[in-house]
Amino acid sequence: MNASLGGVFLLGTGYLSLLFLCALAVERGWIPSRIARHPAVYTLALGVYASAWATYGSLEFASQSGYGYLAYYLGVAGAFLLAPVLLLPIQRMTQTYQLSSLADLFAFRFRSRWVGTLITIVSLLAVLPLLALQIQTLGDTIHLLTQAGSPALLALAFCLLIALFAIFFGARHSRLHARHDTVVAVIALESLVKLVAMLSLGAIALFGIFNGPADLQNWLDNEGLRHRMSVTRLEPGQWRTLLMLFFAAAFLMPHMFHMTFAETLSRRALLKAGWSLPLYLLLMALPIPLILWGAQHAGADPGTLGSAYLGFGLSDSPWVASLVFIAGLAAASGTLIIIALALSGMMLNHLVLVAHPPSQQPNLYRWLLWLRRALIAIVILGGWLFYRTVGIKNDLTSLGLVSFVGMAQCLPGILAVLYWPGANRKGMVAGLLAGLSIWLLGSWWPLLSGHPPVIIIPPGLEMLATEPTWYIVALVSLAANILTFILVSLITRTSEGERAAAEACSVDAVIRPKRLPLLAANGEDCKRSLATALGRDVAEREVDRAMSALRMTDEEHRPYALRRLRDRIQANLSGLMGPSVAQDIVDRYLPYHRDGQTATDDIHFVENRLEAYRSRLTGLARELDGLRRYHRRTLAQLPIGLCAFGDDDELLMWNDALSDLSGIEGNSVIGAHRNSLPSPWGELLGRILTEDAERLYKQPVELTIGRRYLTLHKASLQGDDLERGGSVILVEDHSELKWLEDELVHAERLASIGRLAAGVAHEIGNPVTGISSLAQNLRYDTTDPAILETAEHIQQLTDRISRIVNSLVGFAHGGRHAQTTNFTRINLHQVIDEALHLIHLARSRQDVSYRNECPQSLYVDGNAQQLVQVFVNLLSNARDASPDDGQIIISVTSEEGGVHATVTDEGSGIDPSVRENLFEPFTTTKAVGEGTGLGLSLAYSIVAEHQGHIRIESPPPGQAHGTRISMWLPLSKEDGNAPHEPNSNR
Amino acid sequence: MYVYRIMLFLVFGGYLLSPMLMSGWATPGIAWYRPFLIWGILIALSVWLEQKRHLDER
Repeated sequence: MNASLGGVFLLGTGYLSLLFLCALAVERGWIPSRIARHPAVYTLALGVYASAWATYGSLEFASQSGYGYLAYYLGVAGAFLLAPVLLLPIQRMTQTYQLSSLADLFAFRFRSRWVGTLITIVSLLAVLPLLALQIQTLGDTIHLLTQAGSPALLALAFCLLIALFAIFFGARHSRLHARHDTVVAVIALESLVKLVAMLSLGAIALFGIFNGPADLQNWLDNEGLRHRMSVTRLEPGQWRTLLMLFFAAAFLMPHMFHMTFAETLSRRALLKAGWSLPLYLLLMALPIPLILWGAQHAGADPGTLGSAYLGFGLSDSPWVASLVFIAGLAAASGTLIIIALALSGMMLNHLVLVAHPPSQQPNLYRWLLWLRRALIAIVILGGWLFYRTVGIKNDLTSLGLVSFVGMAQCLPGILAVLYWPGANRKGMVAGLLAGLSIWLLGSWWPLLSGHPPVIIIPPGLEMLATEPTWYIVALVSLAANILTFILVSLITRTSEGERAAAEACSVDAVIRPKRLPLLAANGEDCKRSLATALGRDVAEREVDRAMSALRMTDEEHRPYALRRLRDRIQANLSGLMGPSVAQDIVDRYLPYHRDGQTATDDIHFVENRLEAYRSRLTGLARELDGLRRYHRRTLAQLPIGLCAFGDDDELLMWNDALSDLSGIEGNSVIGAHRNSLPSPWGELLGRILTEDAERLYKQPVELTIGRRYLTLHKASLQGDDLERGGSVILVEDHSELKWLEDELVHAERLASIGRLAAGVAHEIGNPVTGISSLAQNLRYDTTDPAILETAEHIQQLTDRISRIVNSLVGFAHGGRHAQTTNFTRINLHQVIDEALHLIHLARSRQDVSYRNECPQSLYVDGNAQQLVQVFVNLLSNARDASPDDGQIIISVTSEEGGVHATVTDEGSGIDPSVRENLFEPFTTTKAVGEGTGLGLSLAYSIVAEHQGHIRIESPPPGQAHGTRISMWLPLSKEDGNAPHEPNSNR
Repeated sequence: MYVYRIMLFLVFGGYLLSPMLMSGWATPGIAWYRPFLIWGILIALSVWLEQKRHLDER
């Protein structure tokens, strides 16, 4: 191969330009976001794992160890097959707490900024050989293509281009835990390119060099057997150790952690990657033996090319060489970009910000962004330097294994994060330092200095002495790490903060945050406090962002909501500056109001989390959760209002019935202090909570639905679990009972008045009888017709007074009126005329006219005075309701067995709500003092005594307004018609 | 959750038995693609379990 240096540079820059173009297309929206955010793109982006090791290192490994090279793919495939139990919990944590790197996760879990710093240093030391490996493959391939003496400068040029790309498209935002669609899309494109290149090379080997699979198998069983027999088969122990190392690399390597969790699309995308990434890796691994065997069959010389680059030996065609080069460049550049992004974030959060806290930066976001960009460049240049000084002296396999064994030192820690809440910081740090020391002395230092490894093999494991160095170092360092970790964790004390963080991280535990109020009373207070640390602008933006995410308003002051706001601010700051600095800032500037209070569990929050975890619960836990839901539903749907308060008077429950009664939704008040509940609830519930009384009877309160009378019952919540105290209050609406009681009292008062009226009536009766007698005597004392007529009228009126008094007495004595035995045959026309005459005597509303349309020939059996009374009452009501110059018509028609009399006016009509009760005593539509409310009830009683019935039509059929009172009375028996009551519906 | 346990069992079972995969490299008569075939079956199983899990959690 004799390609020119310029040609290779053009090929490389052409490829990198394609990446820039792709990034631009995504950023400008030329590629729709539904494509850029598709789970398939995410899976391809996870293909960043397939670094230059996958394209070149695997060939080298396969030529040495046969199928042993598969460990690199199978280890990570295993980790992704276990995504639901292994990766999803980590994703949940990183998303909830905005953790963007392994160092963030460890610092959060073990509550120490120094742990984060330690993990960053370990990552940096471990990843440098991997970075060097990527750059070395670039240098080597350029050298093989051009035969140039020093390809290092060209490799440096590529590194600078890659660094520029990472800075422009990967560090656009200061926030680390923000998905960068452009980066994801570009890495997906790189994965696609390397996959296509590798499959093409495999196809060239299978169909270009061999004549298909059968020919290949034939060659393998014959001539190729010599090559196959020359490999050194891995011992099962070595193989399993390799699998474990690569399994750990899936979530420990900075670039994998970054791509899997910091750039995560969604839970669904990660679950899809659970099978699609193993499929991608299968396709990447498949061509490796084909290329190796093809090159061996074609007679490529591993001595000249190096076994890692046997792909160049497939053919002399420049296209094949270009494919090999592009596959390597795509793999190396993708890995370099993501490692640089991930490591720069870790170094920023756990080295720079720890050494130089960002207090009072004039423009915090810009400062953080430029720091990060500088760190990206430093990481890539650091990798190039490592390649120039160390990498160049070592083969790819050695570099890669040192890196993977180094990162595996974090494996015990991350497993403890997920599955061992009892692990503590001291244990983790002690274990990590023990493992790290063995790795540094056994692998890293010898790599750097060229000195022989220093390995102390523990007694009893002497048989390991003949094994490869990487294997001994991996086993001994991990064993020392795990044992020290467990021992120290068991014998040392775990801090309160660590225990809380362990619960937050543990797979099986539900987060149980404590319930303490904040000193800040609302969002504005939070902004003011944080401004001291972050500056006013940044504080406002961060608080507003957190409030917007929680859909909170500025008026929110519930302690529960403010605690969630604090958590969200901490998570957001964690995404900006890492969990350690974020926690320091929040603890210092948004402290809790302790004041000697004992913090209790935030039950409402715990319940919300349990709701979210439901699908993860199995067995007994699921049964218990089912019971919990049942009891909760019972309380929530209790047909009586119920609310519960904690010891600190924070509202914990507000059931549906109370929501209906109060018109206040539970979600808007749960978590509030009782004093801040809307009126009148704060005062009312505060009264029963503070008073010794366990009941408050029929408290009058003004609610949106009107005045109500509520009875409250209180019970203290003191069970075996003394941590969770408080009170439960039942709120019963006794308004109807109260109204019934009031009516009963009113009725009793009316009954008293009735008895009094009967007494008064009795007393009135005597003087009226006297007046009547005197009027009667007057008839004998004079012949003056005018006086005689007056005397007649006096007698009629006194008779009427007597009848009214008798009726009143009868009404007061249970509605007993005149006996039906007194009934006589009465002309109805005359009765009506008499009533009209009496109405005219009142001399009011003279403008109203009356029309008697009753035929002269209609007779009924009854008491004439009582019927006159009925018509007087009906006509006086009609008169009072009539408009000026109105007309009242009295019409009577004969029906089968009876007469149908109506009194129709042209008034405004009667309100339907009153109409039903008009025949009840003391019901009136007239102004106070103008009506007694007895007229219609008397008429009803009298008509009923006459075996008739009475009803009201308002407005009458065919009329727009007015009222018609209809009566039915039986015809006189002497007319030969038996009384026959018509249809009562009329 | 039960689906996850099946997957755990499969992956750790595969981990323990995987050294047998490598024996095919230098053994005449054994198809060179055998490890990839087993790997493919594991992926197919995983797809099936993923569908099943999706139905379980619906």
